[in-house]
Amino acid sequence: MSQAQVQAAAFAPPKKNKKPWTAARIALSIVKWVGLTLLCVLFLFPIWWMIVSSFKPQTLIYEQLDSFMTFLPSTWNVLEWFTSYGNLFNSFDYFGTAILNSILYCGITVFGVLLINSFAGYALARLRFPGSNVITTIVILLIIVPVETSIVPQYVILSHLGLLSSPVARVAGYLLPSLVSAFYIFMFRQYFLGMPKELEEAAEIDGAGKFKTYFVIMVPLAKAIFATVAIFTFMGAWNEYVFADLMFPQAQQKPLQAFLQLVNTYNPKDLSMVMAALTVSTIPIAIVYIFCQRYIVEGVSFSGLK
Amino acid sequence: MKNNMKEEEGTGAAVFESPVAGGAAAVMAGGKPPKRKNRYYTFLGKTYKKDDTIVGLCFILPALILGCIFVITPIVISLAYSFTDAYLLRLDEVQAVGFDQFVKVFKDGFLWNAFGNTMVFVVITMPVQLCVALGLALILNTKIKANTFFRWAFFVPVMLSLAVTSFLWGNLFEHDGLINAILIKLGIGEQPFLDDPGQAMGIIIFISIWQGAGYQMLIFLSGLKNIQPEIYEAASLDGANSVQRFFYITIPSIMPTFSFVLVTMLIGAFRLITQPMIMTQGGPEDGTMTMSYYIYQQGITFRDVGYSSAIAMVYTIFMSAIALTLRKVTEVKD
Repeated sequence: MSQAQVQAAAFAPPKKNKKPWTAARIALSIVKWVGLTLLCVLFLFPIWWMIVSSFKPQTLIYEQLDSFMTFLPSTWNVLEWFTSYGNLFNSFDYFGTAILNSILYCGITVFGVLLINSFAGYALARLRFPGSNVITTIVILLIIVPVETSIVPQYVILSHLGLLSSPVARVAGYLLPSLVSAFYIFMFRQYFLGMPKELEEAAEIDGAGKFKTYFVIMVPLAKAIFATVAIFTFMGAWNEYVFADLMFPQAQQKPLQAFLQLVNTYNPKDLSMVMAALTVSTIPIAIVYIFCQRYIVEGVSFSGLK
Repeated sequence: MKNNMKEEEGTGAAVFESPVAGGAAAVMAGGKPPKRKNRYYTFLGKTYKKDDTIVGLCFILPALILGCIFVITPIVISLAYSFTDAYLLRLDEVQAVGFDQFVKVFKDGFLWNAFGNTMVFVVITMPVQLCVALGLALILNTKIKANTFFRWAFFVPVMLSLAVTSFLWGNLFEHDGLINAILIKLGIGEQPFLDDPGQAMGIIIFISIWQGAGYQMLIFLSGLKNIQPEIYEAASLDGANSVQRFFYITIPSIMPTFSFVLVTMLIGAFRLITQPMIMTQGGPEDGTMTMSYYIYQQGITFRDVGYSSAIAMVYTIFMSAIALTLRKVTEVKD
């Protein structure tokens, strides 16, 4: 194909649309759009219902359950919508604490994960030292082999280290295991391997030490991978349930996801409050997805291509 | 030019006061080549740079320590405990029992039930979710306004955590919940849903696909975006029809993505625990008990660390075998 042809192909409008509208194509198109719309309703109605139900009192939720009104707010006085959200803080002394706990745990996890795994990734990508090849092999093995030994032996180790003995120790015991990840080390390593070596060599000739080179040259250039790992870590840490449920029996220590269990099983149950709690615990993730979509798609395709 | 460089070296040495590299740069600025002997050393027949070793070890140390404690040690002690009668509350008096725990693994009816449930989950969820995700990605791949909306719509459930998904659908599937209200309205009648051993697993499968399909759709979309439109154009010019283009261009192009999605999904599905833990606690009649949940329950709830470890070991071997086989089968040969 000549250059001109390639360009012509690239700028030519898609040919599909030029086909005539036969009956079969119209039917196919209708089926496609109707199908997509139905599927769309299936995907969205529970979330829509969750949000709308959090805006009305529990009695109204049950009253309207068998009419279409269940999908509409009961009042247009927007201030009344947030009654259940207020009740949530009044009925559960530690709901606010749970939000702060989640923010604290996520913050520490994201910071620690970025620091520790990027260090390790850089060391494995650029610095040769005895054992570096062995560690790289172990990291790759840990990614390939799905080891089903996470929670129980980890719990045993935490009890041996005395990290279950006090509330503060439990926080450390909850956070420390999540700080290191073979997958993130590998991601950082791959990213640093793909960066041109000349920049570091230039910095070194200028007399910068390895640490300075890393922080001044490498980190700013690798912003994309740092952002991606930060976002994925944040979402993982925010959404974590099973380990948090195990580690924090006390209500005032639970992060939001584990706290939902208390709201959901509270007697007498208030469905409106449960939906409000579910909505609150989803908002941060929704914000991250909406504002960091670019990095998420990049991260997804990066991990997909390995 | 040469002067310029020297100046830079000079300022570099002055600004960066790192003891090791700064010193080296100062020597270089002085015009004397550094002695090779001092900067290199040999270990087990291989030569390494001293600088690299010191800095490298400093960089890897935090990950190494944490990794040894929380990744490697759990694997090792899990393996060790699987040959003992370790009990969570008295781990200082552990007795070796040989292969007893492994024998118990293969005789345990409840475990086989959990294994069966997990396999049902995997075998149904995987193909359905893959088809939904790939189908949506293929339909929504063209850039028109409506597609952007639909992409978002199908992606919204991904924003819900597994816990939120489970609590939400758990409430929707209550006997006096929304779904039953809709079914009564439609004349189908009330269903037991989560109280029925047969339906409960079906619901967990459904909500898992509902929550996860959008994410795989996104991965496939990014895979499809990487295909050059010129390839399709060229194929069209050569007379390939849309079916041929799909099988000879689209499928091979997204095969690496597909392989990755398949293996990650598989391992995730093998590890199903959050949904049954929240929605059914493994019930009714152990109908939603899964392997991961059973291992958790044996180890944490019943404190039988030895037995739990033995199951975990056997399950790890099983999962690895399947995951590695799948990886090999779907591997793209360059």
